[in-house]
Parts: sequence; C-alpha cells; structure tokens
Amino acid sequence: MNVVIMGCGRVGSSVATRLAEEGHTVSIVDTDAFAFSRLPSQFKGRRFLGSGNDHRTLEAVGIREADAFIALASGDNRNILASQRAKHIFGVKTVVTRVKDPQRSELFAQLGLQTFSPTTIGADLAHDALFNTADSGSEA
Amino acid sequence: MYIIVVGGGIVGYGIALELQMLPGHEVTIVEREDRRARELRDELGEMVVHGDGSEVAFLEQIGAARADLLIAVTADDGANLVACQVAKHRFNVARTIARVSDPRNAELFHLLGIDSTISAAQAVMAQIETTLPEHTVVPLMSLEGSGLTVVDLHLQDGAPADGVAIRDIRMPPSALISLVVGADGPIVPDGNTVLHSGDEVIAVIPLDAEESMRELITGRPAAG
Repeated sequence: MNVVIMGCGRVGSSVATRLAEEGHTVSIVDTDAFAFSRLPSQFKGRRFLGSGNDHRTLEAVGIREADAFIALASGDNRNILASQRAKHIFGVKTVVTRVKDPQRSELFAQLGLQTFSPTTIGADLAHDALFNTADSGSEA
Repeated sequence: MYIIVVGGGIVGYGIALELQMLPGHEVTIVEREDRRARELRDELGEMVVHGDGSEVAFLEQIGAARADLLIAVTADDGANLVACQVAKHRFNVARTIARVSDPRNAELFHLLGIDSTISAAQAVMAQIETTLPEHTVVPLMSLEGSGLTVVDLHLQDGAPADGVAIRDIRMPPSALISLVVGADGPIVPDGNTVLHSGDEVIAVIPLDAEESMRELITGRPAAG
C-alpha cells in the first residue's frame, strides 16, 4: 500500500516505521526537520519537509497516487482540513484522521472521515487500568 | 438575525464594526487569544467572547443553535473550515461564510457545503479585472443554488455580437442580457436592441457559459 503520513511526531514516526517494516511504501511529511530524527536510521520511506496542508508539498509527495492518508499533525483543525482535501480533492480512498477533541472527532466521523480520538482512548485506558491492576507493569 | 463572527483579527474586527452599525442584529465575536479578546472587549464590549470557535461545546455555549449566520475569518483556513462545518452540521446554521488564506482551498470549501468563501486574492482580482483588457467577462455575483452568475461584459470592436440585434446573437441557452449601458445611458434591452462595441452589458448566464459569452463579445477565447 502507498501511504502518506502527515506529522512525524511520536505517533506518526511509530506508525511510519511499522508500515515501512511491513513492506508498504511510506511518505512522511512534517514542517520541522527535527521531527525526522524520531525515525530509525534504517527507515526506508521518504521524508518531506513541508506542510501537509500545502498543495505543492502534497503534489511532490505524490498524494494523487496514494492509497491512504493518515493525518497526525498536532492540530485537530489542520488534520481535518488535510484529510478532507485528501479525500475530496485528491481522491485518496482511505483517510484516517486523529482528532483530539472527542466531540469534533465524533462529528467528522458522521461526516465521513475515519477519525479517532486519543483523548477518548486514553481516558478509557486510564479508567480501565484502575480495575485491571494485573496489567500494571505495562505502559500503552 | 443572530450572527457569530469567529476570529477577532483585523478582518473580524472590521466586520464587527460594520455589523455594529446595523440595528436589530445580535452579533458575537469569538476570539481565541485571551489578550486580544480582552483588548476587543474593552472597545466593543459584551459582544466579544473568549474561546475556540471550532469547538463544539463552545459554540453550543454561545448559542450557535439559534444563529442565522456564522462567519469564520481567522488566519487559519483549517479553523475556519471546521467552525463552518460544526455550525452547519451540528447546529443547523443556515448560512456559513469562510475566509480562505490559500485561494486553492475555496474549491474544497464549496464542495463541503460552505456557502461562500472570501479571499484577499479574489477580492483584489475582482477590483483589477475591470481594468485588464484580457478580462472582458467580470463575474459580479453568483446566484446561490441556481447555477447562474451575473457578469459584466465589455463589448469589443469587431466581436461576433458587435452591431447585432440581441435576438440574432447565438447566446448560450438560458443566458439573459438584463441591462445594456451604451453611449446614451442604461437601457433594459429587448430582442431588437442592437449591441455596439464599447457597450457595457450586464447578463445572467449559466456558470459554465462564461467561455462562450467571452467569445461572443470579444471574438477570441480567454487569454491563457
């Protein structure tokens, strides 16, 4: 699969590394060159310095040929904008969007984006961990 | 009407000042930065609220459900899009207007149901288009939902429509010439009205007929 990832933070770099190891074609975009240092030295994907909301960067990345787009930038609105553009303008089939605000996450899921909220997931984990102390050594 | 303006920068502030002059409307200005919000509040008073206009809970709090219009004019295209979409889909706000800093986003915003977009680039182009010789079809306004647009045409010397009566001009279907401003001033034309080079013509045309109208009044397709 040809995957474009926006945002090379902790989550972005991890999922990029994993997808590349699984043999997928990975392109990762970040506005901060330092962010790429989170990737392992043997990372086989392509790194692009630029904004995932900038048309020129997206063209350079080859967004039109991508099978999937994952928006993992720090801002919810930026992720939502980039995801809808990938889906509706560039015709990317699978678009996954991180939206920290649970209410916004829910609304844009209704509007057709495949969203997930780390806030909801984190709260669920923290809550459940209280009642499941057998697992206490591990960290998500 | 209840109007929510998201973004208290130069644009939002300007809109607030204009709206304040219109009696009978309730206006709320949303500014995310605390300091800027306080600054605006000192000048504009109660109408200014501090918060994030793209947040569902916040919009609910300021009564988005009874808003008739939301105008999002922050410098961040993403925030403007999300504010409008939340307003439209969560609170059924009838009309949403977004500012776009990147003019290429306008297409996406329209596709996603934002009623109008405004960009500085578009606004400046609309102003200079009338003075550029290659811009002989100037869009004045689009008629929402009808697929029609009102254009201003400058008839060129020797064009196919020059010296021809309106009934004999092969116009695109459902195009309508509404007003002709000639040497003798404005007239409401009929089929017998003959157009002359130098005339300014206001016409209602289908959105996709701009090119054929351009050829009729200039005799050449668009430059570039």
